[in-house]
Amino acid sequence: MLPENITAVVSRNERWSGDAASEPHEAGWAHEAVFFVRALKDPVGKMPKGWVEISPDGMHWVPEGTEFAMPLQRDGIAVARLKGFGNWLRVATRFEDGAECTVLVTLHLKA
Amino acid sequence: MTTPFHFPMAKMTEAMRLAMLRADPALSRFDPLPRILSFDDFSRGHCGWSQLVGNYEDSLDSMLPGYAQHSSAMLSTLGHWDAGSHGGMDSSYALKIATRARPGAQNVAIKRHTFRRRGPIRFELFFTFKPEATELKLSETDVRSVGLLFDLQCGDRDGDGERVMPHLRFLNALDGKHLQKWQYKRETTHLMPIGSEDKTVSHYHLAPGGWLDLPDGEQRLCYNEIPTKVNWSYLRFDFDLVSMKALGLQCNDRSFDLSNFDSIRIPAMKNLWCMLNFCLFAETDVAKRAFLYVDSICISGDF
Repeated sequence: MLPENITAVVSRNERWSGDAASEPHEAGWAHEAVFFVRALKDPVGKMPKGWVEISPDGMHWVPEGTEFAMPLQRDGIAVARLKGFGNWLRVATRFEDGAECTVLVTLHLKA
Repeated sequence: MTTPFHFPMAKMTEAMRLAMLRADPALSRFDPLPRILSFDDFSRGHCGWSQLVGNYEDSLDSMLPGYAQHSSAMLSTLGHWDAGSHGGMDSSYALKIATRARPGAQNVAIKRHTFRRRGPIRFELFFTFKPEATELKLSETDVRSVGLLFDLQCGDRDGDGERVMPHLRFLNALDGKHLQKWQYKRETTHLMPIGSEDKTVSHYHLAPGGWLDLPDGEQRLCYNEIPTKVNWSYLRFDFDLVSMKALGLQCNDRSFDLSNFDSIRIPAMKNLWCMLNFCLFAETDVAKRAFLYVDSICISGDF
């Protein structure tokens, strides 16, 4: 049997500003994960770094250690590759006042 | 035709079918009709249950807000902060449909098929629901509802056909009141054009209004005693693709009167012939995520 894999859309056309994060996603069955964060519109203001977070319960979050630069223009894509993440995954970022980015966040999981 | 033992062939066939079903640990807990269309055991992946994405044209901004909030279902072991993974009925995994943490938020998972023969179809599942365990409280009124719907359309040679959408939900609570009853709906919103090319329309059939109570439709399910203890419940909905009418609803030990039941009915749409879609949804009543978990689903037909 072929190993399981899935593409999940966890944030679609969401206008992120201030403190922002994708919805929690359970991925305990997967050995590998890749997040893509695509800017669907031209970002406004200074783009911050983003980071991956893991959680013991889907409610309390800690940085996993992987960071990426948020995309600087429309259709720019940030990538984060992960292994050894337990179960819960999300990406998070924090924008300065006035900055924003409309994102498509997809999560690609492979057993 | 009779067998050598003068036993009618049809009875022999049915007896063999039932014997094989009941000896199969995966299927024995279901009562499928003779032809199994799909059996979804979520220890084998998502089994074709994807997120219901709304229609759009040119820009995702044209998607109706009810659909824009949807996200992908996931595979879960029902891991809880206080007790660890709960697991499914006979595997570690269940399908999880999670809303956002906003009062009234919904999420919908869908499986898309078409039909090749009109006849009775049966949708069976084992499910449970809980709110996210963010408080050390019973939280029994935090999930607003969980439910199912079919999205069906006649064949392209059926003349004045219809798109038919039976909807059912278990209304657990509304505005903090613990109601615990089964409801159906016959109304959707108006069809709204999406984009500028006159090719795409959209309507929001899970809009909050228009839900009607099933007669004697109150039912107290096994919720258990804290937000992280769950019990699986059985649900069965029967529908006839010939008459496009509901035939039966059963949840655990209760069967419900569907004599007043009807579906949302709108004129057939130009790209949906023989559509046979199945949806499951969850809805939260408070600023807390609601989770619908599904251990397994068996969809069968009599053809």
